[in-house]
Amino acid sequence: MTVPGRRAVAFGVAVAVAAVLTGCGSAERSSAKAAAEPELRVTGAYMPAPVTDAMAAGFFVVRNSGGADTLLSVRSDLANQVTMHSTKDGVMQEQKTFSVPAGGTLNFESGGSHLMFEKLTHKPKQGEKVTVELRFRKAGRIDVQLPVKPPTYNPKSGR
Amino acid sequence: MHKKTRTKALSTAALLTVGVFALSACGGGSSDDANAPVAQVSAESGTSKAATVLDKPFEKPDLILTDTNGKKYDFRAETQGKPTLLYFGYTNCPDVCPLTMNNLAVAKKEIDKSKQLTQAQKDSLRIVLVTTDPERDTPSALGKWLKGIDPEVIGLSGDFATIQAGARQLGITIEAPTKDKAGKVVSQHGTQVIAFSPKTDGGYVLYDEDATVEDYTKDMPKIIKGENP
Repeated sequence: MTVPGRRAVAFGVAVAVAAVLTGCGSAERSSAKAAAEPELRVTGAYMPAPVTDAMAAGFFVVRNSGGADTLLSVRSDLANQVTMHSTKDGVMQEQKTFSVPAGGTLNFESGGSHLMFEKLTHKPKQGEKVTVELRFRKAGRIDVQLPVKPPTYNPKSGR
Repeated sequence: MHKKTRTKALSTAALLTVGVFALSACGGGSSDDANAPVAQVSAESGTSKAATVLDKPFEKPDLILTDTNGKKYDFRAETQGKPTLLYFGYTNCPDVCPLTMNNLAVAKKEIDKSKQLTQAQKDSLRIVLVTTDPERDTPSALGKWLKGIDPEVIGLSGDFATIQAGARQLGITIEAPTKDKAGKVVSQHGTQVIAFSPKTDGGYVLYDEDATVEDYTKDMPKIIKGENP
């Protein structure tokens, strides 16, 4: 019990630090590189352990230190269908694309936007890693590993 | 117990670390007013209160629905005099609904270990999920889903109009599920958990989506006693 707990804490720290760092850096870089190629980095990715094999969510942050880009599609071996959703007032809305602003971030975070995996090939367990291919208009394909976290995992507290 | 304390200490250290990094990243070179204030800000944001205690509590909604065993469940009658946490959500919901229900269920498990409460007090707690998507969330579908979270959670399904009216009595607006262009059902969940007092039966505390397991674990003993968290 304590070992995964501590790991989660360490993970949370890394995410939080990264968030703060890039949050500040973006303002300085955006003007200089507005027209440049996107420079994407995906951080803080995770999947809360799903309740059943019918459905799961995925979260991550795309950090862009370059020019604007667009997230076009998502694919994973875990599910035939992976879709991207935004959420407003408790209603999920499927979106075809998500923009990644120049020098900014695209957040897929609990309560906001998320990946939705449907009809899973199996129910992933805590500690497993789910691979997801993100396809961007300019940056192309970026593969991301989503570690499966406890169902109550909160990136803010790292638990 | 000892291990638990260590974990706590670790996460406090984590907060401080974040504070320091925030400084070095944003503050740039010219920082005479170095560490202390930032660390304080971090500590505050870590302890912000999840609960909103209402000046004027809500009356318990009149919800007569069907539980996961297919039996009639009169929410007012069944939960009278019992500390009750109520959420409106649905099972075809990947993010907030399972997170909220898991937060409540895990907090309840933590409380079950507490020595501050009697067994009768612990047993009095009711956690209730009312589906906002009764067409897909039949009693058996709800039961199957809740088994993956906590089979002791009471799952209620029934007529959508009844559910909507019940939610409205708590200031929660829920629209009926619709179909999008691709023919997929789009449902809506509530964004709050309401706690009802065992003393007054009033819905006196609200939690929003940001409430964590820690928040619920901290507040549940008070709610069980009908006190303000």
